Amino acid sequence: MTGYLIRRVFQMILVIFISAVVSYALLNLAPGGPLAGLGQATQSARFRITEEDIARIREYFEMDLIVPVRFTRWFMGQPTGPLTIGGKQFFAGLVVGCRKPIEAQRVDKNGKDITVTIGCKQPVTLADLVGRRTSRGVILLDFGRSWTTMRDRPVSDLLLTRLPNTLRLLGLELILALIIGIPLGIYSAVKQYSRFDYIFTTLAFMGSSMPSFFFGILMILFLSVLPKMAGLPYLPPGSSEAVRDYVIPWFGTITAGSFTDLALHMILPTLVLVIISVAGWSRFIRASMLDVLRQDYVRTARAKGLTERVVIVKHALRNALIPFVTIIVFSLPGLFGGALITESVFSWPGMGRLYVQALGNYDYPVNMAILFITAVLTVIATLLRDVLYTVVDPRIRFS
Amino acid sequence: MANQVASLSAEGISIKEESPGRVIFNRFRRHKLAMISLGVISVIFLTSIFVKYIAPFKPNQILVGDYFLPFGAKDLVTGKIHIFGTDHIGRDYFSRLLYAGRISLTVALVSVIVSEVVGVVVGAYAGYFGGLVDNILMRFVEFLITVPQIPLLLIISSMLMQNPDLIPIPKSVLWTMGKIMLLPPNDARQAVLIIMVLAGLGWMTAAQLMRGMVLSLREMTFVEAARSMGASDVHIIFRHMIPNAMAPIIVDASLGMAGYVVAEAALSFLGFGIQDPIPTWGNMLSATQEFMFDKPWLPLVPGMPIFLCSLCFNFIGDGLRDALDPRLKR
Repeated sequence: MTGYLIRRVFQMILVIFISAVVSYALLNLAPGGPLAGLGQATQSARFRITEEDIARIREYFEMDLIVPVRFTRWFMGQPTGPLTIGGKQFFAGLVVGCRKPIEAQRVDKNGKDITVTIGCKQPVTLADLVGRRTSRGVILLDFGRSWTTMRDRPVSDLLLTRLPNTLRLLGLELILALIIGIPLGIYSAVKQYSRFDYIFTTLAFMGSSMPSFFFGILMILFLSVLPKMAGLPYLPPGSSEAVRDYVIPWFGTITAGSFTDLALHMILPTLVLVIISVAGWSRFIRASMLDVLRQDYVRTARAKGLTERVVIVKHALRNALIPFVTIIVFSLPGLFGGALITESVFSWPGMGRLYVQALGNYDYPVNMAILFITAVLTVIATLLRDVLYTVVDPRIRFS
Repeated sequence: MANQVASLSAEGISIKEESPGRVIFNRFRRHKLAMISLGVISVIFLTSIFVKYIAPFKPNQILVGDYFLPFGAKDLVTGKIHIFGTDHIGRDYFSRLLYAGRISLTVALVSVIVSEVVGVVVGAYAGYFGGLVDNILMRFVEFLITVPQIPLLLIISSMLMQNPDLIPIPKSVLWTMGKIMLLPPNDARQAVLIIMVLAGLGWMTAAQLMRGMVLSLREMTFVEAARSMGASDVHIIFRHMIPNAMAPIIVDASLGMAGYVVAEAALSFLGFGIQDPIPTWGNMLSATQEFMFDKPWLPLVPGMPIFLCSLCFNFIGDGLRDALDPRLKR
């Protein structure tokens, strides 16, 4: 057991490192990004950006360094200067970037004008890195500072302000989906071929093929826009809380920021998420339960004279829930950055919407932080699932 | 007994032999919902193919001043009817819907074809030869499946949208896709990039399915017989393994169509897919979101086709699964 765990931990570290490399590479290797507009700005007479300004901006975004060095500074916080051993400096003159590149206009093979870097007027050496602001590294949970969403605020601050919103939305959704979905699936499996079963399977089928953004918009239409037009009580269509007091017919004035206000705002997004989850999970439980109910040991339990309820809950359900462990465990990383699309539809200030906003604003540190944390959580969830499987199913042993 | 059989055939009574395709089709026909879905999808496909003749207006034709005309409004200049009215800039909604259907369906169809072909070949190769290739493939696929799909999809498509020239696409491909989707080649580049992103992340389910089937087929006697008759590995894979393993692939392709239509719509809805003015159901839906509060019917028009396509392809996939493998019947 210990040997297996140690091997798994090594694998996990490797996978985490690879996902850090991949997320960094995806965002930073492609040209463009926050410096995309600078090239034209030099030509424009209105902005009057000098070469020194450009060099300073590039230094702020660390874009004057070469990509491997940038990556290690993001990941580990090093190198912050020359290697100092016992008071002596090594590699002080190693060139790690270019502060002022020499650019030239060329015409590439398609006939378009592109800018090519052909040399370096002022290189950046390791010694120049001393005194530059740097983070302590992602492995110490310091994700750097936001570039555009909240200029210069640490990314962890930004994440922590959004995290409670996502947690309460997705946490409530997880609990409700489990409470509603599992009994529905069980009942539908036990009463197979009944009218309830047919209606339920068709509804669940439609629910799982419904795109979540369309469903969210439909809910907003039917529970918020149309009732408001008709003068009936309506639910607020977006955000997590109101800014001013508002009036709902039949219920009176709701003060902004009160508990009722927060609860009302949470109903719509939670409803959408719960219905979609229940549609998927209850079908899964139903299929799993049907498989189990066909087994011989269920027949034996019935033959022994046990009540149907005991047979189902104590013998069948426990075995049917084994494959469900995977689904539950993997919804834990989803708690962190899950419902991107639903949060965007409802303007819910959570991690998913932060991700989309940051991507649109070219705020790469936030995106890389969210990707990295989600990858770490997924890797931990995989390990948790494998361990839980051996706990829940005594037939499984570590290989 | 033998002379009884002989007398039966002498009287001309014989049992009709059904080809496997016929058997599968008959089993499929028993699913009423799947048959209805097949009909609906055929209608949608036919309208997409003949869109140039059906659509009254051009999709980008802006009729200045005619914002938000109601359903059935008549255009004063040409006398044609706006069946669903006009959108916020004055473009005919119905025509845009039809052209958007063509683009969305083409993107989904080509993505499915590419991802299934790549998945089948890679999965068959990994399953048949095993060893290092199989190992690397499985680690790679496991890694990519545990990474959250939507954020990854968003990053890759946002990166490609910013730098459309990052991946060189041959001009012939752009030209063909443009012709199929009725778009100029430059606009077709966006659609081709989306296809590459979707198929690039979607071939893995097909590869896993194929690998599983090949692993079990590899031990069967007919493979041993073929090999003893001197068949090469390539011949065995392409003539024996892949045709016998097509059943789950076909089901996966149908369910994949549903998934890709929704995925492309979701990407365009969030703004990272195909951009305006190229019509696609997703970006039409996101454009209606700000006007939803005054005109509640507006989001239903582009949203229902997405839902309908997804539902129908799911039903067809379900019906195919029951038709192709009766052992899986509930």
